[in-house]
Amino acid sequence: MTTLDAAETRRPFAGRRVRLGDLSLQVVAGAAAAASCVLVGLIVWKVIDGSLPSIRVNGPAFVTRVAWNPVLGHELYGAGSFLFGTAITSLVALLIAAPLAIGIALYLTELAPRLIRGPVTALIETLAAVPSVVIGLWGILVLGPILRDHVEPALHDALGWIPLFGPPSSSGSSLFTAIVVLTIMILPIVSSISRELFLGVPRELREGALALGTTRWEMIRGVVFPYARGGIAAAMILGFGRAIGEAIAVSQVIGATVGIHWSLFSGGDTLASKIAESYQGGTTKLQVASLIYLGLILLVFSLLMNVGAQWIVRRVARRQGVGLNRGGLG
Amino acid sequence: MPTFGTFIRVISLSVVAAFVAAVAAGAASAQRKDTVLSGAGSTFVAPLVAKWVDPLGSAYGYSLQYSGIGSGGGVAAVTNRTVDFGASDAPLTPDQFTACKGCIQIPWALSATAIIYNLNGVKNLLHMNGATLAKIVAGQITKWSDPAIQKLNKGVNLPDQTIAFVHRSDNSGTTYNFTDFLSSSSADWKTKYGKGVAVNWPVGTGQRGSSGVAAGVSQTPGGLGYVDVAYALANHLKFFAMQNKAGKYATPGLKGILGAAASQVKPDPQTNELSIVNPPTKFELAYPVATYTYVIVPMQSAKAAELRKFLFWAVTKGQSYGPKLLFQPIPKSVLVVAEKTIAKIHS
Amino acid sequence: MASHGITRADMAAVNLPRRRVVNRLMEGFTALAAVIGVALLVIIVWSVAKRGAHALNFDLLTKTPVPFAIGPVKQGLANAFAGSLVLVGLATLMTVPVGILIAVYLVEYARPSVRSGVSLVLDVLNGIPAIVVAIFVYGLFVVGHGQSGWAGAFALACLMLPLMTRSTMEVLLLVPNSLREASLGLGVPRWRTILSIVLPQTIGGITTGAVLAIARVAGETAPLLFTSSLVGTHVSWTPTHALQSIPVAIYELSESPDPADHARAWAAATVLLIFILLTSLAGRWIATRSRRRISTSR
Repeated sequence: MTTLDAAETRRPFAGRRVRLGDLSLQVVAGAAAAASCVLVGLIVWKVIDGSLPSIRVNGPAFVTRVAWNPVLGHELYGAGSFLFGTAITSLVALLIAAPLAIGIALYLTELAPRLIRGPVTALIETLAAVPSVVIGLWGILVLGPILRDHVEPALHDALGWIPLFGPPSSSGSSLFTAIVVLTIMILPIVSSISRELFLGVPRELREGALALGTTRWEMIRGVVFPYARGGIAAAMILGFGRAIGEAIAVSQVIGATVGIHWSLFSGGDTLASKIAESYQGGTTKLQVASLIYLGLILLVFSLLMNVGAQWIVRRVARRQGVGLNRGGLG
Repeated sequence: MPTFGTFIRVISLSVVAAFVAAVAAGAASAQRKDTVLSGAGSTFVAPLVAKWVDPLGSAYGYSLQYSGIGSGGGVAAVTNRTVDFGASDAPLTPDQFTACKGCIQIPWALSATAIIYNLNGVKNLLHMNGATLAKIVAGQITKWSDPAIQKLNKGVNLPDQTIAFVHRSDNSGTTYNFTDFLSSSSADWKTKYGKGVAVNWPVGTGQRGSSGVAAGVSQTPGGLGYVDVAYALANHLKFFAMQNKAGKYATPGLKGILGAAASQVKPDPQTNELSIVNPPTKFELAYPVATYTYVIVPMQSAKAAELRKFLFWAVTKGQSYGPKLLFQPIPKSVLVVAEKTIAKIHS
Repeated sequence: MASHGITRADMAAVNLPRRRVVNRLMEGFTALAAVIGVALLVIIVWSVAKRGAHALNFDLLTKTPVPFAIGPVKQGLANAFAGSLVLVGLATLMTVPVGILIAVYLVEYARPSVRSGVSLVLDVLNGIPAIVVAIFVYGLFVVGHGQSGWAGAFALACLMLPLMTRSTMEVLLLVPNSLREASLGLGVPRWRTILSIVLPQTIGGITTGAVLAIARVAGETAPLLFTSSLVGTHVSWTPTHALQSIPVAIYELSESPDPADHARAWAAATVLLIFILLTSLAGRWIATRSRRRISTSR
């Protein structure tokens, strides 16, 4: 008799008990996994359900309408102003943050002396750990006045003929301050993902190019970038997704204004910050539903960004035959 | 010998365990002796309610929790029954009464909205009237040195600075009071923007709460805004003396508020609301941007007995905390109606 | 090659000085970017710490706020510190068991298609903006019942769950299969193998996940805005009512006109930053330690 048979015969009901224990754990763990899927579905459903009253009244025209008139009897709501605010703040922030982040990643993988790589990496990632409300506090009390008193007048004097750089804001709360705040927040995300991508470029490819006589920059441009192109795109999309979802820091520094103003120094509002400001005080059912409608638009965009980034990563991985080491991004 | 890694793990696990212990202790602890009365709404009345917390606790053992989230938020919160009472400076509309399902409205405080400004080197209590103010807020007057403002303030050196208007970004009863005044002073404003807890502001930046507007104006040179007068005092902000219909310039002090309150002594029999904005010519002492503020309670509540006690106290003893904050105690005629309405709360 | 006058090598040699200049420029740019990145962190942390140090005293932790105080009054944020402890503690209690169970299911039981499917769902959950989670929890728990610490903690738990699950999954995958097979081969039932043999190996990773999730969510304001923000000034430990929290307190104080309020906001922000930085460091330390242990053991 083998050891196994002896064990089984010593415990005649072992088979049934084992099956019960196995079944219980599998069912409980499976239920937890199912519950997480149900949770996400519930979130999506609740947001759609909450915005239905506004969808029924406004339809898809809501998405582009530039209006937010809460006066009773003349109520008219639309997301256009906030879509503009979200787009301009997040896009400009990404435009500034992406080159900086890629530069940081390149520095940390190619150029930095070994000794400082670890500490500098840790410092950059610590920037991601600073809570948004603290950055917002710093934005209102420190950054805003500096931008209002020194940076904006200088930019207006130098580049005032461009409509983007209109008269400086009077209060320090403006689209521009929000852009700086968002840049600070998405910099670490794009940087750390890019860093991991660059670390994954095969040594042979890099050293081969250098051996052929290319300068380091030419090697980066010719080997690292093409190899990591998809991943960098995904990193930028994830950074963008993070920026559009940021409600707290933006609401503290953006100056809560409705309407489309092309000057970066004017006030504005984004989808997320409008919800943070107005949701608790929604007076009529239509206003609350319209705010949730804003949340629905925000949710759709966030999901698109997230899924889009994942899809790019998968496509790139399949093409190159390797995958990113992490199970998920961001 | 325990390694540093083990040390860190022990520390982290202890921190996690401490959380768990704190939570368990909290959850298992006996129910607080105090009854919690939770309310939310108007930032206008928040300074007065804050003064009520301690005396109410010692008188009845009630723990009063009040959050200033704006009048609109207060109405929404009490409609959704997420709080025991709501506070709003803007009276409920018929639709809001219906949505609230059996709520009553009680005027419980009386004060004024100060129009604040931030001008370095310029004296306090500059003169202003409703028509000019409406033009400023509509964006038609953009500089402090504009002749319209200069005309009201002969002999004062007004700087050539841009007027930076700060309004409320949340749904606010103070906005309602302010725009009510603008609508009654300017037909142009009335048709274009009207009155409400929030309007389609043509110019200016938004801040949350009266404290947000006070902060915005005090940090912005050339700023102009509107807050409950208690905020203007607390933050040493300058405010205008506003011209009333009689042509006199009145300040948002107790005399001006009392003068305005004289223009409507009996609340509306249906809704208990009172309108004392821009009173007629014969009220010479009136400050034209004064307002009552209301507490909104469901007629039927599990905490009916506590609410009745609290509200009776608020409209009687509570009023004595007002004058220091420039809240004028409510007149007898209003008090009588208030007490009759409070008695209607039942469980 | 010699038949054509100028070779590629010649071109390369001629261009070399220019290529070297471009290279130096780009190297300089990346170094500058790194300096900017580090400088941003230093500036912000220094700003916060410098201003927070002034108002950092025991009053902050032991006294309650006195709104609209006239004249200097001893006040602090005791209710916010207590509330944050309860909210984050409850959220951790909700997240850790569920996260472990989901990770166990995905690694030990699920087919690869199910594993990638649920992983995708968790990534989606991770990407949902916190303000949308707040709307959801408000509609689910607050409407009709009032705000509560439970609702706030649940909102925080929704944000913690993907981190917790992923952390546990990573470390479960590190446990060598030989361990599982040896245990099963000795007749230990599957469930006992997982609970008594595999999971204890992963305590380090689970702790890491919990600690990093706590660091992530300790500073979150949006999920608490509509679920646990209508609060009083007394210290309360019962989650049946709304509880004040440090991030929400900072948010409210940041928009006040009173410089004394700003001072307390800076002080609270300093404490929050220190807590989050220490927790993140601890989490990462545990992570590297436990990963080294698992892969070098056996």
